[in-house]
Amino acid sequence: MAASSTSSSVGGPLERRGIPAATFVEDVQTYLTQLGLDANSALAFYKNVLTFKCVVLDRLQQYKIVEMKLLAQQRDLQAKIPDIEKCLDIVATLQAKKDAGEALIADFEVSEGIYSRAQIEETDSVCLWLGANVMLEYSCDEADALLKKNLENAKASLGVLIADLQFLRDQVTVTQVTIARVYNWDVHQRRIKQATKEA
Amino acid sequence: MQQGPGTETLVTWEDQQLINKFSRLNNRFHELEDEIKIAKENNESLEDASNELILSDEDILRFQIGEVFAHMPREDVEGRLEKMMEEASKELEKLEEEKETVLAQMAELKRILYGKFKDSINLEED
Repeated sequence: MAASSTSSSVGGPLERRGIPAATFVEDVQTYLTQLGLDANSALAFYKNVLTFKCVVLDRLQQYKIVEMKLLAQQRDLQAKIPDIEKCLDIVATLQAKKDAGEALIADFEVSEGIYSRAQIEETDSVCLWLGANVMLEYSCDEADALLKKNLENAKASLGVLIADLQFLRDQVTVTQVTIARVYNWDVHQRRIKQATKEA
Repeated sequence: MQQGPGTETLVTWEDQQLINKFSRLNNRFHELEDEIKIAKENNESLEDASNELILSDEDILRFQIGEVFAHMPREDVEGRLEKMMEEASKELEKLEEEKETVLAQMAELKRILYGKFKDSINLEED
């Protein structure tokens, strides 16, 4: 058995925002020994698979759960960004109309499928729904600034989220490669045993 | 990313990095395909709108901004639509370009990884 430790997460960060890094395995035999498995015992295969399942497949499952959570967050943010852009658009239109000294005539939905006409006279302010049953009146400039800041924040969070997802997916790939290699190693091992028995 | 049965080839951390990179690119490739599909649809809708605009003879049109349909003079609508179409086609172009780069990088990684692992590695979609 090789004495040097060959399983470590070489070169990568150990975790990112609470997501632990997967262990990269360089030498399968050493790795299994470190898990406390006797690779040479007669029952090795069953024991190996069981312990391996506990350790690695569980981890993979956890990664998948986190991935789903992050994907949901990503979808939310991706929907939020065009919404904010739409808000900015209408605020800009109101401002442009005001500067031109015109009223904005708009058809709006009063109930599903029923529209009414509104005439929005020169207006200095809009009301922003801030959530939690709170609506605040802002001047158009302030509303524009606030919405722009929200847009920036949403884009920044999306960037971070995408980086998180990439990190997570790397860990999933590392784990999958490890699983494949341990299974291969086992198959290989049993072939050798078979060959020695027959000889 | 599964290895077929066979002899054990030593996988180094560098190899793992390449496999990770390939996996990331493959993911991005699928995302891009979806994004390109959406961008194409967007382009088509705008195209349709622009055709309708040519056919209509009204001077004041209703144009959706935010949640309401604002009454706007024809030339304003034309201007806005033109700008939107320009942006949409630029976006589509950008996505198509990225897809090409991703595919090229994937091909290069395939060359390296298949070169080292031969048939012990499978980088194809099912």
